[in-house]
Amino acid sequence: MPILTIENLSKSYGKIDALKKVSFSVPEGSVFGILGPNGSGKTTMLGTIMDILKPTSGTYKLFDEVPTELHRRRIGTLLETPNFYHYLSGVKNLEIAAEIKQHGKEDISRVLDMVDLTKRKDSKFSTYSLGMKQRLAIASCLLGNPKVLVFDEPTNGLDPVGIAEIRDLMKRLYSEGKTIIMASHLLDEVEKVCTHVAILRKGELITSGNVNEILSNEDMVEVGAKDGEKLIEVLQKMPNQTRVAKEGGTIKVFYPVGTADLEAINNFCFSNDIILNHLILKKKSLEARFFELTNN
Amino acid sequence: MIHLLKIEWLKVKNYKAFWVFTILYFFAILGINYTGFYVNELSVENLPQAQLLLGSPYAFPKVWQTVGFMSSWLLYFPGILFIMLLTNEFNFKTHRQNIIDGWTRMQFVSVKFVFAILFAVAATFFNFLVALLFGSLTTGSSFGFEGMENVGYIFIQTVAYITFAMFLAVLFRRSGAAIAVFFLYGLIFEFIFTMLINHKFDLSPVGYFLPLQVTDVMLPIPFGNKIIYDHAPDMWVLVVASLVYICGYFFFAMKKFTTDDL
Repeated sequence: MPILTIENLSKSYGKIDALKKVSFSVPEGSVFGILGPNGSGKTTMLGTIMDILKPTSGTYKLFDEVPTELHRRRIGTLLETPNFYHYLSGVKNLEIAAEIKQHGKEDISRVLDMVDLTKRKDSKFSTYSLGMKQRLAIASCLLGNPKVLVFDEPTNGLDPVGIAEIRDLMKRLYSEGKTIIMASHLLDEVEKVCTHVAILRKGELITSGNVNEILSNEDMVEVGAKDGEKLIEVLQKMPNQTRVAKEGGTIKVFYPVGTADLEAINNFCFSNDIILNHLILKKKSLEARFFELTNN
Repeated sequence: MIHLLKIEWLKVKNYKAFWVFTILYFFAILGINYTGFYVNELSVENLPQAQLLLGSPYAFPKVWQTVGFMSSWLLYFPGILFIMLLTNEFNFKTHRQNIIDGWTRMQFVSVKFVFAILFAVAATFFNFLVALLFGSLTTGSSFGFEGMENVGYIFIQTVAYITFAMFLAVLFRRSGAAIAVFFLYGLIFEFIFTMLINHKFDLSPVGYFLPLQVTDVMLPIPFGNKIIYDHAPDMWVLVVASLVYICGYFFFAMKKFTTDDL
């Protein structure tokens, strides 16, 4: 059962199209990353499925049903910023959230513990640091142990230790079988935790699917030899490769995903009278792939 | 609705500004009526003929109207309070979070209005007690049910002021703008409009039907027997008009909140 299905969702603010006919679905048990630069429509999309923004056109389903507030109660959502009553303490804020969700009241001390806020639970929200606010918001999402979590930029405002903790938390939640939908512009964040990804650019869905298929569509091998010109000539005769390129000082040869064989390359060059002094398999970085996808 | 009110209660229970405002407001009701009571006693004591002019505003049955009239000047207090309660939600973006966590947009609006009505019930009851107090303190006056319909008018007026303030808060979303418009309109512009409509354009009593004015006319100045609001419509017409406004604010807020982006 898909947890979230979006069909032709569009949202415009006057002349600006924040979302243009976006469609995809989030399978149960996945960590689904929504990737895109600032202003690409990530938050707009999550806001729409949480009923705080009204779509211009298109539909969406939660748990494969027409969405209502009852579905929202079963999803822990952190959208854009931590939203709490400034004059109330952390624990009082969580009490309100638990009352609205109608579950998770007994869970408050557990979730405060999980995000390391137990000591400061009785301090007013307004006295919290940015990182603490973010952690309180994550705690609120975890109330009642929901099966589905939606995080919009979950590591915003956290220090490196906090970021690592959140990543660990997500991996743990994922291993518990939860579905996590996460929007981010931080690429390594997505690369490290997501199983699926959707990439947005200027409100358009560029691609979506399994993270390995999308983020690396080819293998890249860096090679080097004394006589570069001859090396290129030889490599171009090699079977299976898709192309050979000289970028900067290094020569690169590309293969379809998972087919690059370093031994075979070495062997082929040697039998063609070339001795390699550099041979390394490089997975294309997510960053390079991301720029490739979003830049044209 | 009880459960929604419980959550609303959690929001204000530990909100110091709410309690400071509420207590100040209640003290002010007592204070302004004590002042009126005292000044009246003093005037009559010094100049017995003054009673002919002033009447006995704090004796039963007039006291219900007098307290209502005096307290009506203080209705800006609960108005500001409810503007704050609403704009706080917008500032903290908790109106979004409440929806995300599982309220419907409709629930968010309706519980705020129900809470306002409960607040008005409490304020009205306090006015009732204050009227009872000063009525009993006035020599030669004994309790009677006559004129108690004014307590009902106090309630309607309180609800009308608060819901008008809430309407402004939903419209402007910023406390500064809503409070400024509330004061300027209530204290200055509405008075000017009423004057212009009724006297300059001779359309009386149309001018009495402005949103806050219509409730003010229900509780006219009690000192003396002079008719303040000439051509004033029947009381039931004023009541109906007030209720129409109150429903109007509610439906506007509901419409805006359920169809806009939050």
